[in-house]
Amino acid sequence: MAGMVHDEGSSPVTPSPLQMFSLMSLSPGIGSPYPLLREVNPEDRGLWLIRYLTGCANHVAAGSVENANLCLEQISHLASPDGDTMQRIAAYFTEALADRILKGWPGLHKALNSTKISPVSEEILVKRLFFELCPFLKLAYVITNQAILEAMDGEKMVHIIDLNSFEPAQWINLLQSLSARPEGPPHLRITGINEQKEVLDQMAFRLNEEAEKLDIPFQFIPIVCKLENLDLESLRVKTGEALAISSVLQLHTVLAADDETQRRTSPSASNSSNSNHQQRVLLMKQRTLGEWLEKDVVHLYCASPDSASASSPLSCNLSPKMGSFLTSLWGLSPKLMVITEQESNHNGCTLMERYLEALHFYCALFDCLESTVPRASVERQKVEKMLFGEEIKNIIACEGIQRKERHEKLEKWILRLELAGFGKVSLSYNGLMQAGMLLQSYGYDGYNLKEENGCFFLCWHDRPLFSVSAWRFRR
Amino acid sequence: MAASSSSVAPFYRFQEGGDQLIQMEQHRHAPSAPLASSAAASAPPAPAPAPQKKKRNQPGNPYPDAEVIALSPKSLMATNRFVCEVCKKGFQREQNLQLHRRGHNLPWKLKQKGTNKEAVRRKVYLCPEPTCVHHDPSRALGDLTGIKKHYSRKHGEKKWKCDKCSKRYAVQSDWKAHSKTCGTREYRCDCGTLFSRRDSFITHRAFCDALAQENARHPPALNSIGNHSIYGSTNMGLGLSQANRQIPSMMQGQGINHSNNNDVSPLGRARSGQLFDHLLAPSMGTASSTFNQPLPSMGSPSPNNFLFQDQSNQSYNSQEQASPHQGLLQNKPFHGLMMQQLIPDHVKSNNNDPSPSSSLANIFNLGMLSSSSSNSNNNSSTSSLLNSGLLVPDHHRFKNEIGSEGSNLLQRSITSDHHQISSSGVPSLYSTSLLQNSNHHDFSPPHMSATALLQKAAQMGSATSRTDTNNNASFLKTFANYSSSSGIKSDRSPLAPVSFAGIFGGDNNLQELVNCAFGGGQDHHHQESAGDAYDGIYDNTNKTGSEQSTTTHMGQHGMTRDFLGVGEIVRRVSNNGNGNGNNGGFMDVQRDDEQRRQNQEKYGLMISDDKVISSSLDSAPTSQTFGDFR
Repeated sequence: MAGMVHDEGSSPVTPSPLQMFSLMSLSPGIGSPYPLLREVNPEDRGLWLIRYLTGCANHVAAGSVENANLCLEQISHLASPDGDTMQRIAAYFTEALADRILKGWPGLHKALNSTKISPVSEEILVKRLFFELCPFLKLAYVITNQAILEAMDGEKMVHIIDLNSFEPAQWINLLQSLSARPEGPPHLRITGINEQKEVLDQMAFRLNEEAEKLDIPFQFIPIVCKLENLDLESLRVKTGEALAISSVLQLHTVLAADDETQRRTSPSASNSSNSNHQQRVLLMKQRTLGEWLEKDVVHLYCASPDSASASSPLSCNLSPKMGSFLTSLWGLSPKLMVITEQESNHNGCTLMERYLEALHFYCALFDCLESTVPRASVERQKVEKMLFGEEIKNIIACEGIQRKERHEKLEKWILRLELAGFGKVSLSYNGLMQAGMLLQSYGYDGYNLKEENGCFFLCWHDRPLFSVSAWRFRR
Repeated sequence: MAASSSSVAPFYRFQEGGDQLIQMEQHRHAPSAPLASSAAASAPPAPAPAPQKKKRNQPGNPYPDAEVIALSPKSLMATNRFVCEVCKKGFQREQNLQLHRRGHNLPWKLKQKGTNKEAVRRKVYLCPEPTCVHHDPSRALGDLTGIKKHYSRKHGEKKWKCDKCSKRYAVQSDWKAHSKTCGTREYRCDCGTLFSRRDSFITHRAFCDALAQENARHPPALNSIGNHSIYGSTNMGLGLSQANRQIPSMMQGQGINHSNNNDVSPLGRARSGQLFDHLLAPSMGTASSTFNQPLPSMGSPSPNNFLFQDQSNQSYNSQEQASPHQGLLQNKPFHGLMMQQLIPDHVKSNNNDPSPSSSLANIFNLGMLSSSSSNSNNNSSTSSLLNSGLLVPDHHRFKNEIGSEGSNLLQRSITSDHHQISSSGVPSLYSTSLLQNSNHHDFSPPHMSATALLQKAAQMGSATSRTDTNNNASFLKTFANYSSSSGIKSDRSPLAPVSFAGIFGGDNNLQELVNCAFGGGQDHHHQESAGDAYDGIYDNTNKTGSEQSTTTHMGQHGMTRDFLGVGEIVRRVSNNGNGNGNNGGFMDVQRDDEQRRQNQEKYGLMISDDKVISSSLDSAPTSQTFGDFR
């Protein structure tokens, strides 16, 4: 089949399958051109998918369900969760877009999702798989641990609060490093926060086992709760102990409630909150066409990074929940706080902003998997569907308090953290070295590390995907 | 109590630092172990524990030629075992004594840290209790404080008693820690047991039946994944030592044996143990001893479970097959070499050079051992930081190689395709993917990554938007003008064929590709449009930044966003062109519109340049290519 296409292609006169397809698509009723398209050059197919996804996103943003539906139908013939990277991405983005449309009919949406089971164990499994399949988490852990080690040099009592506690490997690694300290290991307490009790039980078991083996005085304190509901009083930080806080891909969830509170506290502010508008429009279709045109021109211009960052202080200030959360963390006077976050702005106000950002971000992530994991791998598909896919869905389909995946770029986090009274700590060259060695140990191409003003970026090629920054209590 | 130098295994050197030494061979035991808990001391721990021990110990001391120090219980517990011969003052550390000797004007010698490999010779300490696992040199503990505490806790008298709950502790700090929290908390397990200490409660929970039921829903893979992280590192160590990408993958194909062994239900586990004890004794040994603990969810088969099991079964096969195929692998000289290295490495207990100067690979190699044995505290901080699960290379990545046979392994490593085209665990799938693979090669050489596609899309978008005044046809228009095109419930179909022509107007033929990439390929435009497209792109190069408003004579170009940093690429490409010399015309094309449009030969050159572009996009190994990515 490939050969055929190729042969035809060599004579410029013969219309290519794509041309044929495009002609046929004039009247989709006649025959099905799609099998043909399936066999087309994957590159063309990818381009086609990008194009139609974007078109579709436009329609969804505009609330034109019919057009969006047409787009989705077309894409569905080519997208596939087990195809090449672009096909996979397309599959998850269409799902997300469709979900967003469907939310316009809450009844339908609820009915369709009413029997959905998402077993906790699967969620955990998927996180583990991500840890296994991509080096990003490992890098984040190594860098975090190195920073903790350095900050805790000479400390006798160390307490670590893990805001997203699900992977024992990070702390096993730290235990080992601590036990190798020349001055001997400290008394170590780790407070792990997670919504799932099972995860923490596992953590506790593994860590206690390891600490026992290394003969380190150790205590694991599981706290089963959502991060935003965390009662910092319950953390039992003792006097005299050195406190470190580690947050890996977790802090952004605290931003989630912001829209809601914002709307409640200042109804007038909802004008600036386009997402609310969009949602409402999608729900009620009350805005006029002219309004939309006007609005979208604005979107167009504010989609640039400059204006996005220009609007960022605003959103920073307007996130009281995050503000108070950070302030209370600050109140614990941690010696060190290491934060790993997605380096992408998925907290834009408009759907298109988020769509474009997410497309780029997840394209890179999917490429990472493509480069290391075979396509038929069930594990890969799980990570893509249950982790990336769900994140995409959350970014695109959800609004308000439901939208948890509000990844933001480091520049915003810096503003926010400084506002809360934290001072930036430069991550050490050692950390970079360790992470570099880890990458080298993988022997995978394409992953990179970048240092910028004492913060590290974990990159896929030159595209920063995750940022790691360290902070300290500053009075 | 005297040291018997005859008993010293050549491997280990006994240090005279302590006043007494205890024999450390298995068949001997400490002459006296005057301790409460050492009832079994007199019984030689002879053959019975041997198999178990063997398993456990084989991964062994990562620093086989570290100084093994066996102190008698007395000297171990002595608060100051280094006594000054002049004033009889005792010191806990030799260094302190040396410093003290300096004060007496006695000859003194301080050990320098890190300057000399010999000087910083690692020390490991044995537990004097002969029945203890840490009595064996291979399970020695890495620091003196550790062994002291261990000895007190496990074999010592519990001198410290909590007044509130009458719990007893051997180590004062434990007792202190306990009395701080004693009575403040109570933990009740679902099974009804009460605990005052959280950690014991947690430990209990981990074993408790109630939890097992709770976790029955867990796919066992969950546990296994966690577990892998530990010994997977062997693979990594091997992989690490290679610059060559292919070899690691081969190694991992091998290494998968142990990682998979643990995946599985008890069945698989038991089997793997039998099968590979001879081959992979060390790693297996650790694996089982570490993880045979009743992890709650082990017994519950789930779809995953079966899947893993399948794969691991296959992995056994592939293991068996891989070895005979070694000859094949030796086609590539390194492969054979590494193969052989691998096996000995597993069988003998990873005798790594303890010296800091040992290669990177060695450092990483420790990972397996250190995380599964108690010796990890011997590692230098660097290595131990790196050695845990964090460094595990991904075995999943190599799952594909499990199912494939030895020859497949070879094949895969020979096709050094950057893109791991899925050769799944299932051979049939493998073959199809092979087909896919060749498909890719028929067309543009390697498969395009999604990021590259995005770039290309943007590139095309900017090109088409340049030539095509129709909103519909331009990709980037979609980005740029979505306002105008989307707000309308448009009478035109959003899927208007024009747009296809606009983007894919070209054939697979290269010439057409140029068109579709740069010209929008509409027939009436054709070559001119190609020229324009270049023009447009080069316009873009002058502006980095994500939004562009270039006004050109064609008008609608205005809102194109160069959000992918196309400019960077094109610049790169043009540099390439320059470097090649052959493509010198490319620059001309860039500079001189008029000439370009009229010159058919130049057009041909553009085609070749397009190749350059795509190749630079595809391989995209370095920074600049993705340069302007946000």
